[in-house]
Amino acid sequence: MSKEENIHSENNNESSENAGQKINELLSGLGDHYEFNYSTFHFDILPYIFYDDGQFHFFKNKNSLEQSGLYTFEHHHPVSTADHSAPDLDLSITNLVAFQFIGAILLIVGFINVARKYKKDSKKAPSGFQNMIESLVLFVKEEVVRPNLDEKTTNKLLPYFLTLFFFILILNLLGMIPGGHAATGSLGLPLALAIIAFFVINIVAMAQSGIGHWFHHLLGGAPVFLAPLMIPLEIMGMFVKPFALTVRLFANMVAGHVVLYILIGLIFLFGVAFSPILIGFSVFIFFLEILVAFLQAYIFTMLTVIFVSLAIGESHEEVHSH
Amino acid sequence: MGLLGAAIGAGLAVIGAGLGIGKLAAAALEGSARQPEAAGNMRTTMIIAAALIEGVAFFAIIVCMLFLFIQSPNA
Repeated sequence: MSKEENIHSENNNESSENAGQKINELLSGLGDHYEFNYSTFHFDILPYIFYDDGQFHFFKNKNSLEQSGLYTFEHHHPVSTADHSAPDLDLSITNLVAFQFIGAILLIVGFINVARKYKKDSKKAPSGFQNMIESLVLFVKEEVVRPNLDEKTTNKLLPYFLTLFFFILILNLLGMIPGGHAATGSLGLPLALAIIAFFVINIVAMAQSGIGHWFHHLLGGAPVFLAPLMIPLEIMGMFVKPFALTVRLFANMVAGHVVLYILIGLIFLFGVAFSPILIGFSVFIFFLEILVAFLQAYIFTMLTVIFVSLAIGESHEEVHSH
Repeated sequence: MGLLGAAIGAGLAVIGAGLGIGKLAAAALEGSARQPEAAGNMRTTMIIAAALIEGVAFFAIIVCMLFLFIQSPNA
């Protein structure tokens, strides 16, 4: 999806043949980039890190990369000057990675501040930012986690679910500020979160009811002679759950941004006279996107909680029936 | 031709998802009108089911989109 094409500043042409190209240029700003971009401005301040032929290469930015003579750019992808091959492993800090760091730092700073307030005087009524965080934390605890899991598991897993919720939320919201990119709008980050969720689901189920019962739950409660049918199905289900989580978060975030970009892009197609209507629409979509940012964080957390409770619940029933 | 296929596919996926979520919302509304005290519970279940339907629809749309990008590599 990321075409890695830079947006060139060609403001002089508004004919309708170029409108499609314009929209494509706008859309290409969505993906993973080696630089920050805001509209048509580029800020080349992100470092490049490659692992190639058994050693690491560090470059401060694009300029120092090209000056070193080791790598050059072909179709906006860095390739080695010697044999024109891409580096073995590209660990560069792209803009999405940078936004993840920004999100993580914001969360750490915000939560440490709030925690300090509680430490100082836990009896005092919460105020300001603390108020907001408290209501969100309580929401996740009382509405999402506690109704689905028993008391012990709730207390044990609550930090994980809170982290999941707030990390997705802050990344979604960072994507809403002008010049920001939603890191959740790339396939990689939701996939990583879903892989963590996969391990949490299965390890918690194993720890709660033992590995034997976890294997037993692969039968899905069916009689033993159905095992050849049920075991592949249940194993598939185990992997489909995180995959569905990934695609849902990724597609929701991308879809909203694509709609916004296309509405703006339609101005190039229809002419400036239509811009008030289109901007009105895009403001509407923007507010919808803020709702979606919260909703997707909620749904990812909620579904993870439900999958954990299903994985535990099934094996618990079997414990009782034997 | 491929572009047409992708567009029609996306449209069909949206029809399916729209029907599904519409039926779901109608049922939830009816349920909460009959039993207003269960509305909160119903809303949570509805959102989860809507998310699942939406997820399937997004699968289809992503497949269409991939097809679109494969068909027109310069897009």
